[in-house]
Formats: sequence, C-alpha cells, structure tokens
Amino acid sequence: MKIVIVGAGEVGTHLARMLSKANHDIVLIDEDQEKLQRISNQIDLLCITGYSNSFRDLQDAGVSKADLFIAVTPFEDRNMVSCIIAKDLGAKRTVARVNNGEFINEKNRDRITHFGVDEVIYPENLAAREIVNSIKQVGTREMIEFSGGKLILMGIKIRKNAPCVNKTLEEISGINKEIRAVAINRGTKVFIPHGKDVILNEDIVFFITTKSNQSLIYEISGKEIFEVKNIMILGASRIAQKAVEKLGDQYNIKIIETDRDRSIKVAGRLGNALVINGDGRNLDLLKEESLDKMDAFVAVTGNSETNILSCHLAKSFGVKRTIAEIENIDFLTMAEGMGIGSIINKKLLAASYIYKYTVGTSVAHVKCLTASDAEVFEFKIKTESRITQKPIYELSIPEDIIIGGIIRNNSGFVATGDTQIKVGDLVVVLTLSSSINKLEKFFK
Amino acid sequence: MVNIKLILRILGFLLIVEGVAMFIALIVSLIYKEPDTSALLQSALICTGIGSAMLVATRKARKELGKREGFIIVTFVWIIFSFFGSLPFVLSGSIPSLTDAFFETMSGFTTTGASILNNIESLPHGILFWRSMTQWLGGMGIIVLSLAILPIFGIGGMQLFSAEVPGPVADKLSPRIQSTAKNLWVIYLLFTVLETVLLWIGGMTLFDAINHSFTTMATGGYSTKQASVAYWPSPFIQYVITVFMIIAGMNFTLSYLFLTGKFKKAIKDEELRYYLLFISGFTLIIFAGLLLTTQLGAEQAFRDSIFQVVTIMTTTGYATVDYLHWTPFLTIVLFAVFFFGGSAGSTGGGLKIMRIVLLLKNSYYELRRLIHPNAIIPVRFNNKPVSEQIINNVLAFFMFYFVIFFGSTVLLMIVVPDLPSAMGAVATSLGNIGPGLGIFGPAGNFSALHPAGKWFLSFLMLLGRLELFTVLVLFSPAFWKK
Repeated sequence: MKIVIVGAGEVGTHLARMLSKANHDIVLIDEDQEKLQRISNQIDLLCITGYSNSFRDLQDAGVSKADLFIAVTPFEDRNMVSCIIAKDLGAKRTVARVNNGEFINEKNRDRITHFGVDEVIYPENLAAREIVNSIKQVGTREMIEFSGGKLILMGIKIRKNAPCVNKTLEEISGINKEIRAVAINRGTKVFIPHGKDVILNEDIVFFITTKSNQSLIYEISGKEIFEVKNIMILGASRIAQKAVEKLGDQYNIKIIETDRDRSIKVAGRLGNALVINGDGRNLDLLKEESLDKMDAFVAVTGNSETNILSCHLAKSFGVKRTIAEIENIDFLTMAEGMGIGSIINKKLLAASYIYKYTVGTSVAHVKCLTASDAEVFEFKIKTESRITQKPIYELSIPEDIIIGGIIRNNSGFVATGDTQIKVGDLVVVLTLSSSINKLEKFFK
Repeated sequence: MVNIKLILRILGFLLIVEGVAMFIALIVSLIYKEPDTSALLQSALICTGIGSAMLVATRKARKELGKREGFIIVTFVWIIFSFFGSLPFVLSGSIPSLTDAFFETMSGFTTTGASILNNIESLPHGILFWRSMTQWLGGMGIIVLSLAILPIFGIGGMQLFSAEVPGPVADKLSPRIQSTAKNLWVIYLLFTVLETVLLWIGGMTLFDAINHSFTTMATGGYSTKQASVAYWPSPFIQYVITVFMIIAGMNFTLSYLFLTGKFKKAIKDEELRYYLLFISGFTLIIFAGLLLTTQLGAEQAFRDSIFQVVTIMTTTGYATVDYLHWTPFLTIVLFAVFFFGGSAGSTGGGLKIMRIVLLLKNSYYELRRLIHPNAIIPVRFNNKPVSEQIINNVLAFFMFYFVIFFGSTVLLMIVVPDLPSAMGAVATSLGNIGPGLGIFGPAGNFSALHPAGKWFLSFLMLLGRLELFTVLVLFSPAFWKK
C-alpha cells in the first residue's frame, strides 16, 4: 500500500515506523528537514521536505497514486486543507487529525466527506474514551473488548500478593480452560509466553478470557473489585472535559485547574463536576480536597512530568486507581515501571486507530498495547485462507504471534492448539510489532 | 560492542553473491572451452562454501544493525570481495602473484581500472570476463546490489546505502530502500545492454562489446585489449563509448527521471548542467590546443579531446591516445580534470561535481559575507538552501582528500622515483580513474611498481571508492569507544 503521511510529529513518526515495518511504502512530508533526516536514518521511507498545504509538494510526494493519505500535523485546519488537496489530486482515502469534537459528530460526517476528508480522528476523544474505560474497569491496566465483550483482553499488573505469582502458564490454564495469558510485559520487554513460562512479581500479564470468567482473572491476580465513586482530575484539558462528559452524573468528580479563566469556562460548561482553581502540585490543596478519599485519580495536565509525579503522590495517599497521561513516548516504558497505574498516550491511540485503515477490510479492530511493542488485531475471516486449513498447532505460526481466541456464532472461545478456525469466525490475534508483516500470509 | 556475528552473517551472504557471479564467468569459460574453467569453478565453490559456512555459524545473530556495524560491513565487504575475487587470477595462473592479483581485483571492484597486466590479450576469456565483471559489480555497488536482491538488511539498509553511494547526500528513488536499489540496478542493466548492442553493431565482437559495456557503465576502464579503446579506430565505437561514459557519470536518479519521461525535471538539475559545462569547457580548451599544436584533422582532434576529457572526468580511464605526448600544457589541464569526478549518485569516483560546485559557491559567497557581515547568505543548490552540515561535510571531505593526496604522494615517493609518476598514481587511485602520469601513463601500467606500493595504492582505491569517510571513520578512536 502506498501511504503518504503529512506531519512528522510523534503520531506521524510512530505511524510511519509501524507501517514501514508492515511493508507499506511510506512517504513522509514535513517542513523540518533535520527532523526528517533523523527519521530517515531509522525508518525505511521516503522523506520530502515541504508544506502540508502545497500542491507542488504533495504532488512531488506522489499523492495522486496514494492509497491512503494521513494528515497529522498539530493544526486541524492545515490537516483538513491538506486532505482536501490530496483527495482532489487523487488520493484514494484521506484521514485528518482534528482538535474539535464537532468534526467527529455523526451529523457532520457527510459534509466532511463531501469536501474530501474521508475519516477524522480526534486523539483527545480517543484518550478520553480510554480514561473512562479505565475508570469503569478497575484492577486492569488495559482492557480491550472484542465484539461487544464476547472476548476480553485484560492487562493486569501482578503484585506479590497475587495467587498466580510464580506459577507456570500450564498451571494457570489448569484452573480454567477459558483463561489464557497471551503476552507478558516484563521490565522493558514484551514477549509471548509459552506453557512453561512463569509469571513473576511486577509483570504486566495480558490475559484473554470470556466475559463470564472475568472475575476469575481478578481472583488469580489478587485484584479486589471496588466501585469508583470519587474521582479527582488534575488539569481541565480537552481530554479531561471530554472524559467528564462521557462519565456522566453517576460519579463525584473534582477537577483541579491552575488557570483561572479556564476554570471558569470549564465550570460553566460541565455541570457534573466541581472545578477547583489551584495548583495541582500543591499538597495542602490536594489534602484539603481530600485526595485520600478518592477512588480514582486522573492526571491529564499538559505536562507529562507533572502527571507522573502527581499520580505517584496519589498512589502514596492510597488512591487505588491512578491514570496518567504521558505524551513523551520515550517516558512510557520508564513510567510503566514506576507503578503509577494506567498510562494514556493519545498519540499511540491515534496511531493505532489510523493503523486500522491500512490492514484492509478483514480487520475489525486493532490496538497497540500501551508501553509495549505489541499489537492486537481482530480479524474477520471472510474467505478460506491459510489460517483455516489446519488446527492452530499445525500451522507453524511464528513465535511472536499468538492466536488468543475466536468468536463464533456470537460466543467467544479462548483458543487452544486444537482450535480449528473456520470462515465466518472473528479471530483475536496478538503480535509483537516486529512480526506484523508475517500476519498477512495467514489471513490472505 | 559491535555485533560481530551479524557482520559475519551479512558478509557471508555477500560472499555467496560473489560466488554466484563467478559461476557466470564460469559459463563464459565453458563456452570458450579454455583452461581457466577449473580455476573459476574452484573459486566459485570456495566463495559459496565459505559464505554458507559463515551463514550457518551465525544463525543466532541478533538482528540489530547499527551505524558502526554499517561502516564495518561496507568497508570489509570491499576488502573481502577483492581478496576472494583475486582467486580466479591466482588459481588460473593468469596473475600468479597474490599482490598483483589483489591489486588488479581491488582496481576492478573500485572501478579504478589501473592494471598490472602486460599482455591482456593472452588471458583466457573467462578470466577477462571476470575482470570486467568485478568492475560492473563494483560500479553500482556491492551493497546496493545486495539490498536489491537480499531482504536481510532491514532498517540499517539506509545507512549501508548512504555509506556506499557516492556524493554528499544519497537520494532515494522510492520509499523502500529495496525498490530503490532494484530500480538503480534495472537502469544500470538497461544501459549496459543498450551499449552492448550499439558496440556490437559498431563492429566489436559480442564478447568485447559486453566487456566494454560492463566497464563503461561502471566508469571502470578495464579493456580486453592491451591498447584499450585505441584498438578500435572506428569513430562510431569511440563516440558510443563517450556518450555512455557521460551517462554513467550522471546521477542515476536523473537517468531514472529521463527514462520515466520526466525530462523537464531532469534537465533542470544544477549538477547535470555543471557536469556538462565542465566537460564542454575542458574539451574546448584541449580541442583548441590540439588543433594548434598538432597536425590532427578537426574531427580527430575533437574526438581525441572529448574522449580523454570524458574518460578522465567520469573516472573511467580508457585511452584512445597517450595524453603524455601532448604538449605539457594540455597534459596538465587534463591532470586538473583528475580531481573532478562524476556526479553524485553516479558510478564515477573523484571529488564529484556537486561537491566542487558547493565549494566554489561557498567560497564565492564568503566574499559577499565579508562585505555584508550581517547578511545571511545560504549556499543554494537546485534552488534549495543547502544545510550548513552538508557544507561542513564537503569542506571536511575536500580537506581530507588533499591531505591524503599530498601525504600519499610523499609516501609513494619512497618506491617511485619521480614526482609526476607518484602524483599521478595517487591521484588516479584515489579518484578511481586508471591511468596516471609518467611511467604509469595510458601507455604504461603498474606492473613494475614495488609490491608495497601496490598494496598502498589498493588501499587508496578503497578510500576513494567509499569516499574517505566510511573507511576513515574506522581509524578514529571515537568509533571504537564504548
């Protein structure tokens, strides 16, 4: 697939890296030549120094033959214009990143497509959705539902007190066939475990299971389920506002924001939250607002360091659920090891979201696991392919790929070696990023 | 620490590639039923055998290819290729001494074309074909070839690519390094076939036509005749070779643009314009000089002048006349051309037109900067400002080039009696040209040179082919620090 990406920011670069690994032809356009120079040393792609809204530069990049055009500069107006030009030049499908909720509104969708923007992504909205999911799903670092929860992938931090610590995977699946660990994030590396591998303290283990066995996972990983009622949000950023909108009236929400004008504005807009004007780094203020009584703490200020530190603080006050927004991708692995709960990165979220458009129509769902080099796919098996020929253990699937489960006739099953995949199934596959390109031959 | 296993693994892969190339020469030898068959077969088997053994031994290599590994691989692949490439010469007895054979092969792969052979016609066809093929393989680059056919390089590919492709910046023709390399080779192959056909029509035997196309497109300069291209007095053949030398000295990205019909964009290229300007300028001077100082007819004088200028400028190194017999003024003008070289991204050696133009512009702008101390005057090339980093790189390159040139001349004087010969030999090796001055002129060869001198010049050829930095960086302490 020929893909043109405009904007070599973190989203653009991350996308370019992912897509290049998956054997797509990438052209990356940016104004900053030095930045491009650095990127082209690391990623196999063609860099063009130019402007996102210049006809000539876009033509030079070969937009007219592009299957996918992605505009992810920080400016939504430029992205829109860029997509409009690209569509006009002949790009088959265009994706623009926006910073405005109105664009993702279904009502306006036709208008946007009408002038040449096929898809819009709104990273803040994705991040807000992620936060809401994390608040509703306590105990997990990450939770992905497939086909409305027929199968669930849960990433859980294992602590010393968990019953499954120091047990092999074989022992765990002995407890229940419908539980399977498909990936382990240990230290800075993620790997696909096998039967003899042991779960250790401090691991983040990704289990796949069905809805009915979800509670069992909490049990073996020693997680107590509690209901979240009180939430404190640090920073009245757009992500915070979106999240509060989505959370609704059933929670007690406090937002702490330094900027007075912004506090006033947000207080006017959000009726379901209490907005407090003050510095979130001020310990007295946090105590006064009873940080220790909070069930969840969400740090979404524009500053990653503040978010990391304040989540750390909240943890030390006994807040069970903390969520930090971290925008520096380099910090992610480090933060993951610091024990500050869930981590949100809107760039990775956006990149995974866009990635879906490149893997063809057979993919219903794709997601990149936070702070790890792994991707989860949900494939719809439409025709006979290599994957449907034999049971899984006979397929000689590479080590870095694992088939987690299948959804057949509206019910989910955790896959085992004997599972035979059939046409019409939805298959959940987890792969390390380095092996994405090997997936194709099994599903085509 | 450098990933030695991976380096060995990749070198093993490349050695197999060389072995396969030897099998092609073996086919030629079988056609002519000459005694070199067994030498070529043995060499091919040794290459593929050792290559496979290296592959098997390094199966578990980590697949991380860093900058350091890149530099080491690119430098060593040329040394290893030259070493194993000299096997057919040694085993067949065509060049019995290893020193001579290594010199001849290094001169081949680096597309220098300096030879130690006194009687080229006496060599069997298979060996001659292998000799030309070393140039053809070395012309576009061993790594570039491998990138095109082997999917083993992954992300480090771009670093290897830019370490081998001549010029201050390596252009990519398409988003994927592999398809870029493929495109380059397709263009290369296309021109080679075209030239073969034309030379064949012009009266060469098919064997000679293929060999000369190989060495023209690589700007190498090995001939199958001791007299070089002068063996064929036909103007048609000489003009055809001239045209193809000019093409080979052009940036292959431009050839790609021409072939895909984007003439307008290609013709606008600044480097191409300067390249053609330099060729016509020097041709004109020498043409006028020859008319004034010799009895040659106008056509003959024009042909001689343009052929010599192009063969030296593109660093090919064929000869149709002995320029040492010209009046000294013309010889020294031609010696100046020794330093120009082809365009960036061509198969030619030397300083490269783009670097010279950047240097001249930068130096000229320095004058303007003196008058307007606060003015921002960027060097522009192709109507785009060139980053200071590139200018610095070019300045450093220029500096290294001349320090090495003068230093090496002094060193070579230990074994070479006269200054012009030593200077010519160093300039011709460093610029990957072929013939030099004095006893190493177009009529002479390097056979009489002291063995130490041969090894030294072989090293200079490698330095020149990999454009100094790739090799020199291996000698810098910073490279080996952890």
